[in-house]
Amino acid sequence: MADFDAIVVGSGMSGGWSAKELCERGLKVLVLERGNEIVPERDYVDQMPPWEQSNLDRISEDEIARHYYKQFPGVSYAVKESNKHFWVKDDEHPYETSPGTEYDWLRGYHTAGRSIMWSRQTYRLGPQDFEANKIEGIAVDWPVRNEDIAPWYDHVEKFAGIAGNRDGLPQLPDGQFQPGFELTCAEKEFKSRVEAAFPGRNVIQARVAHITAVTEEQRALGRSNCQSRNRCHFGCTFKAYFSSLNATLPAAERTGNYTIVHNAIVQSLQYDGESNRVVGVRVIDAETMETRSYSCRVLFLNASAMASAMILLQSKSTEYPNGLANSSDQVGRNLMDHVSGAGASGLISGFENKTVFGRRPGGIYIPRYANITEHDKPYIRGFGFQGNATPLGNAGGQIAGIGRAFKESHGAAGPWRVSISAFGEQLPNPNNTVTLHPSKRDKWGNPLAVFNVGYGENERIMQAEAGKDAVAMLEAAGCTEISSRPVNLTKPGNRIHEMGSARMGRDAATSVLNGWCQAHDVPNLFITDGAFMTSSACQNPSLSYMAFSARAAHYAVDLLAQGAI
Amino acid sequence: MKTRREVLQGLIVSIGGASMLAACGNAARVAVSESQSLRFFSDQELALVSRISDLLLPRTDTPGALDVNVPRFIDGLMAEWANAASKESQHRQLMDLGQMLGDDFPTLAHADAENALRELDRAAFSGNSGYGGYRALKGLITQSYFATEDGALLEQHWVAVPGRWDPCVDI
Repeated sequence: MADFDAIVVGSGMSGGWSAKELCERGLKVLVLERGNEIVPERDYVDQMPPWEQSNLDRISEDEIARHYYKQFPGVSYAVKESNKHFWVKDDEHPYETSPGTEYDWLRGYHTAGRSIMWSRQTYRLGPQDFEANKIEGIAVDWPVRNEDIAPWYDHVEKFAGIAGNRDGLPQLPDGQFQPGFELTCAEKEFKSRVEAAFPGRNVIQARVAHITAVTEEQRALGRSNCQSRNRCHFGCTFKAYFSSLNATLPAAERTGNYTIVHNAIVQSLQYDGESNRVVGVRVIDAETMETRSYSCRVLFLNASAMASAMILLQSKSTEYPNGLANSSDQVGRNLMDHVSGAGASGLISGFENKTVFGRRPGGIYIPRYANITEHDKPYIRGFGFQGNATPLGNAGGQIAGIGRAFKESHGAAGPWRVSISAFGEQLPNPNNTVTLHPSKRDKWGNPLAVFNVGYGENERIMQAEAGKDAVAMLEAAGCTEISSRPVNLTKPGNRIHEMGSARMGRDAATSVLNGWCQAHDVPNLFITDGAFMTSSACQNPSLSYMAFSARAAHYAVDLLAQGAI
Repeated sequence: MKTRREVLQGLIVSIGGASMLAACGNAARVAVSESQSLRFFSDQELALVSRISDLLLPRTDTPGALDVNVPRFIDGLMAEWANAASKESQHRQLMDLGQMLGDDFPTLAHADAENALRELDRAAFSGNSGYGGYRALKGLITQSYFATEDGALLEQHWVAVPGRWDPCVDI
């Protein structure tokens, strides 16, 4: 008799969904979280006003050099003195990169993982995204099409709460939306001018995982509408944005089938060759260093694309000497992120006597048009732009003047600025890898990750072109003082959209998972974090992790009921 | 439709802020004591930063930078936040700034000091290089001021819980 029906490794964006769905279907579920427990009432700092923050909420430079030398440069907009407990200390969680390469591995080890710190942009993949690999002969074909996953997008959107507008764009399917955050007057003007100048392009509201018309189901979990505070990186007392901690884990808990253990770092999965099943998990306690095991009937890996691949690589057996479920040799390959670097900003006139009230969580989104409505590109796939048009503001003090006039200018009318930044697709490449360091180990005895990730020509050309497109759109919108930044590609990993390390495919010889996120090799093993992504598309991927997790969980429960696993 | 100021004033009163509005221009509301010894600035540097802070953000119908102890706040920030290189750089920039404004700047008559700083500010925001230290200090003074309770509430009109998003409001 197993300790639990199911074990879910990781409590973040996808692990929360796996746990919720498995619990709601009646399984006894253990969630293993490698980090500490986050208690919202104790650990969220979203209610702290500016004047209670220390030193303008800056982490001291010496402390950054000592503990946050990767995290802070990677996401300085989000890592602050008051919320630094949401980010790992780099010296405690080191990793390596191959010579000549760079990788930003930006993480939070605690209840709900990075679902607490994400930026909440939420988009479906479109039909073209599931078909592109096959049509273009890139990597392997997705074993899933849009119609397979669309009902599961519906399922997770209704529960999570997604604010957005129904835009009717085939490449960016609409979903089960709550009311979106209306565009500013300058954004409406920008939209009108850009869409007139470029008939195949659209400027729409960003779609974000924020509740704006709370449902009874959401209210029952203690969630309420977004208050437009823009304090999301500090937690949310209103539980208005989606995170595991605000939504899926409480839903799992109320079933009575849920157990979570913190500080449980997985060392390996235990495999029984005779039955060809995962039978349990070996963990080490992060604080006491004690090791122990838990057994289960079905296992979901939701440790993040990188950590899930590493756990498989650490789980060696006679049958799988190169890592569990790795007969294809694809575990730890095809790492993808999104690539940014291109963008532009400029001033838009005509709104000097207007301002905004409230601090919304998103802005504008320009869905992919390259190779969708425009086919003259020197690259394949495409990118979306995220941005906004808001009053320039001047709280940084970087305007001329002194005295009363300077002081009062901060509350006075002023120019508005449009800003857009590209998020591009990264093609899968088997040579972009995460592997285990042959000798270096962390303080819990687990091998260090070694990243070897680079961009290809397609990503470089695409971003260069995206930079030109950004300027052209701002010019068409009549912007002045347009500044286009030099296109320096973001470091791999910097967008924190980790994908591809145990890809789905139709053939067990060339992929790790089938279309249900089930390992080809080991039928009671499922991986539903970003590892399953066969290609990256250009949309922010969290919603896809949610939908595939929910779908896989139901499939696994069905297989268990049938006695098939 | 209400203007932003009217909305804000309504909000402040609704959260019990009538006394807050009445207190404008009175004592500073930060926890830095005047008697506390300096942790980063020298006396001369504090005098320079204080004069600049007062000229940039004077007391008007709301408290000024000195009322809310901005120079002492920056003294603490530099002591706690900055590393050795940043500290050295800040000292150097203040020395340069002191030379540009003249040794007697802290004690000049108000109008003369105002003219000197206005001239420097104009040069710094006319595309000239060589004024990075001044612009950085101006930024730090301004950010520090707006991070105080008075600066945030009375000048930045910061609202803790807007409760809604209005994308287009008449000023």
